[in-house]
Amino acid sequence: MRHRARLVEVLHRAETGPMIEEADFERTLVAPAIKKLVQKYDIKYRKEVFVPSDDDLADRVFQAGLDLAVEVGLFCQNTSRRITWTREELLEGLRYCPSEVIMGAGNDAIIARARKPDDNGRVVVAGGAFGTPVPEYMYIPMSLSYLKEPVIDVIDNPSLETVYGYPIKAGSPWEVLAAHREAELALQAAEIAGRPGICLGCVELSPTALGALAGVSWGGYRPTDWLHAPIMSELKTNYDMLSIVSHATRTGTILEAYYNPIFGGYVGGSEGVAVAIAGGLILLNQNHLPHTLNTRPNHPFLNCDTTPELIWATSLGVQSLTRNTNLVIDTLVGPAGGPGTKTMLYENAAFVIATTTSGQSLMASCHSSSGGATPKHASGLDSKICGEITHASRGMSRKEANEFVKQIVPLYIDDLPNNPIGKPFNEVYDMDKIEPTAEWQGMYDEVRNNLIKMGLPLDRLVF
Amino acid sequence: MSNYEKLKEELTDLLLGENPEAPVVWAREILAGGVSAVDFFNSIFTPTMAVIGEKFGRLDIYLPELIDAAERAQAISDQVIHPMLTKQGSDQQMVKGKVLMCSVQGDLHDIGKNMVVLMLRVNGFEVIDLGVNVPVKTVLERAKEEAVDIVGLSSLMTTSQPYMKEIVERRDGFGLKGGFSIIVGGAPITKEYAANIGADAYGKDAVDAITKCLALLDK
Repeated sequence: MRHRARLVEVLHRAETGPMIEEADFERTLVAPAIKKLVQKYDIKYRKEVFVPSDDDLADRVFQAGLDLAVEVGLFCQNTSRRITWTREELLEGLRYCPSEVIMGAGNDAIIARARKPDDNGRVVVAGGAFGTPVPEYMYIPMSLSYLKEPVIDVIDNPSLETVYGYPIKAGSPWEVLAAHREAELALQAAEIAGRPGICLGCVELSPTALGALAGVSWGGYRPTDWLHAPIMSELKTNYDMLSIVSHATRTGTILEAYYNPIFGGYVGGSEGVAVAIAGGLILLNQNHLPHTLNTRPNHPFLNCDTTPELIWATSLGVQSLTRNTNLVIDTLVGPAGGPGTKTMLYENAAFVIATTTSGQSLMASCHSSSGGATPKHASGLDSKICGEITHASRGMSRKEANEFVKQIVPLYIDDLPNNPIGKPFNEVYDMDKIEPTAEWQGMYDEVRNNLIKMGLPLDRLVF
Repeated sequence: MSNYEKLKEELTDLLLGENPEAPVVWAREILAGGVSAVDFFNSIFTPTMAVIGEKFGRLDIYLPELIDAAERAQAISDQVIHPMLTKQGSDQQMVKGKVLMCSVQGDLHDIGKNMVVLMLRVNGFEVIDLGVNVPVKTVLERAKEEAVDIVGLSSLMTTSQPYMKEIVERRDGFGLKGGFSIIVGGAPITKEYAANIGADAYGKDAVDAITKCLALLDK
């Protein structure tokens, strides 16, 4: 893609940019810059608003994000240097960013396109366990529970707890072996489901470039699959991630870059999270050269992104970019709740309505049960509800979305501190038939019907 | 309100205020005004730090404010309390315990670890922070060198977890179990996992880590 010619310049600037200690980067640059920009651009969180529809506010967040990107740059952990760009360079990077991407192959291919807030355009639904660790015997059944859902267009699978019964250690030959094994299993699941060309997120368990590169080598994941190259909180890259970027650039693999700011951390509160999302994704576009860009900000104690403060911040951060660029953006819902809980279903509903109406191009779900950290706690219905709500939200205005979210948040907010991780996959699904248990399906239907009664057109979906 | 309650409120405001020098100046004035160094440390300084920690635990303040407060508190400790206690020949223990913290090998995430480091410091622990992606051998060598009470290990990924197990195994294998305790934490870590690998404690989050470290010192 045309923006990838910039790769050598990115690597060069990682070697030659201004030097700074890592702790100083966050403490003396990032934190004060965000605080100052929030004040300069008068960005204020209002508790009574969940999905802001103030276009001027969104545009100010974009300007604040651009200023942040210029002022601090991206830190490279291996060289202790900042990769910096001028405002004009960043704007040129945005001008020539990919505005659409074909994901997957053959009859399973789908196109993700840049959208705007309140847009009626189709949103691609990415479903899966998004790296939730699972035992090897559970990998294919869990993957199939998502693959079976026709509302899901792209898959992002679980990650393996072990490989051939042995623990997987980062940076070791085990990681390489595990990456190959994950690819084998993911491709096999796609074949079984009759969706061999479906785009597969990868490589889920790769903590270093070793796993990522091994998994996308010969016989593994394909260039039409969805490789990931994140940056660390806050605004930090490293040689492992840049190696993934370099490899994706040479092989033409679809690349997703993501950044997850921490609420209450160096970026501050909701306002800071919104600015960090804007600035972070601008820097990601410039340096990681992705096709799609994702954010999943995190609450440090609840391990979710579905608190009112984070829904507001994510919606606003996304709007700032969708209003002012053609970036292909997605957000990943990370509920505190897990399978077998109504809490999770309502959390997902609120987050998806807010982010879809903010203009995201893909909806990624679901980092169930405390942000995807609880092994085995993920299931196809977690993403199915997100997919259905994504389609029901198409063409909805942000004002309407705000009214829906206002009704939904009280249905789960008090449960978040109770660690409502729900049940593991084998207790909510029949693992042989790959069907939800009657209890879990019943809960799903109840929540879905409640949402219909609220006015969400889940019974009149148009795909 | 008692005088000490009022002073705790004043100190809280100063630690979170705009003027970084003001807390030290204020502390000197309070001690010059007749409050003993021991009383100041036990009844004003230490409880105020706990209040600051609780504010962060509720996210009433954020990480940058916590860092600033911790640094200002350290300045009071170094420039005012410690010299005064030394002068008075007091054996008052200012440091609750010594903790070595790191993100284990293979893990480059640091923000959770950094939060725990700060909360430990504001709660009166001396902390040595080894950073991220720390090899197993380095953790054990430094733990011995520094004669720490507790080693805190953070991991955000399942693929770094095996290194936690290695650290526990090597500690026990080399006969160092009596030397220091090990507490583990991070997103994929559970109480059950901590028990399975033989760790001494599990910290659910930064706030819980403090409670557990205090309990480990009492053992």
